[in-house]
Amino acid sequence: MLATGMHGDARSLVQKARSEAAEFRFKYGYDMPVHYLAHVLADQAQVYTQHAGMRPLGVIPILIAIDEERGPQLFKVDPAGYFVGYKATAAGVKETEATNMLEKKFRPGPQYSRKEVIELAISVLQHVLGEDLKASDIEVGVASAADGGRFKVLSSAELDEHLVAISERD
Amino acid sequence: MGESAYSFSLTTFSPSGKLVQIEYALNAVNAGATSLGIRATNGVVLATEKKLPSILVDESTVQKVSLLTPNIGMTYSGMGPDSRVLVRKARKSGQVYFRQYHEQIPVAQLCRETAAVMQEFTQSGGVRPFGVSLLMAGYDDHGPQLYQIDPSGSYFAWKASAIGKNMVNAKTFLEKRYAEDMELEDAIHTALLTLKEGFEGELSGDNIEVAVVGEDRKFRVLTPAEVADYLAEVE
Repeated sequence: MLATGMHGDARSLVQKARSEAAEFRFKYGYDMPVHYLAHVLADQAQVYTQHAGMRPLGVIPILIAIDEERGPQLFKVDPAGYFVGYKATAAGVKETEATNMLEKKFRPGPQYSRKEVIELAISVLQHVLGEDLKASDIEVGVASAADGGRFKVLSSAELDEHLVAISERD
Repeated sequence: MGESAYSFSLTTFSPSGKLVQIEYALNAVNAGATSLGIRATNGVVLATEKKLPSILVDESTVQKVSLLTPNIGMTYSGMGPDSRVLVRKARKSGQVYFRQYHEQIPVAQLCRETAAVMQEFTQSGGVRPFGVSLLMAGYDDHGPQLYQIDPSGSYFAWKASAIGKNMVNAKTFLEKRYAEDMELEDAIHTALLTLKEGFEGELSGDNIEVAVVGEDRKFRVLTPAEVADYLAEVE
């Protein structure tokens, strides 16, 4: 999961998400499906919009996973409690520009390989921020069947590889 | 709700006797995507626009029509997140009833209980009304039924109704097209034609959701392929 927005709220949300997922795993004996985690986070966000004395969290989480039954999944939840699955999405500063770029570049369907999708994400980010990025400027998390269906954050060495590949392409 | 210091209602009367929060809630409903329901002699159909904000959205994850009990379902117009709360409460009501009586809850009763929840949120402390109107459809011993529940908690049974952005035109269309002896298949076609009236663009199995409950008393959402077939019949 990636949470963009207010730092403190993001930490709180990540804690909640981890706690929910762990409890689910404990109770039911299998990993919490990502669409259900998104559902739970969204419902909690909705409560904050309807009850006085609580403010909505200033953070948008983007959840990714390889679902056992449905394959690669991507969900985004917003402070209103709205959530939906995406083929590609963006959140935060320059969200609109990034989304427009993705709409043009992204062809739905499994045509993108793991390498291509990582490099697409980084290049959209670079383009939209208008600056060349170094490995220390960004964080990339990937959920991939190639990694055994697990989520992992790329190391700086891996990031450098991708960044070099992108700059050589351009 | 108990933790906050808000023991007073946020929904208060205006000098003219109106509850403006409820009026505004209705504005939220009227800004939402159109939904409609038609009761036929042998079943009920619900249809709704799946208004997606972007082509990047994975439409298979969007579900506007929800099953509440095996023979009752509902859809909404307005704020999606608020509708999820009501779906959950309605499902629970159905289960609580079943646990006690070992029979499925009657449609009218589920409607009444859900409406009562919505009314509570117009009067309780520290909460706002729900920004949704619901269309609840079911088939029980009293036959096929369609109910509309508004943010105020008031509900009515309808032969055919529409809510959301295009409701005025949709209702006019339905008034002309509705016939007392309409059967479920006709009702589905009429529902699709009504949606088509106010729809920007081409209707397809992916941008609308249609659900039916017939004499078999099984509420189910049609697959995009089935919707596409009906659309082809209607063209």
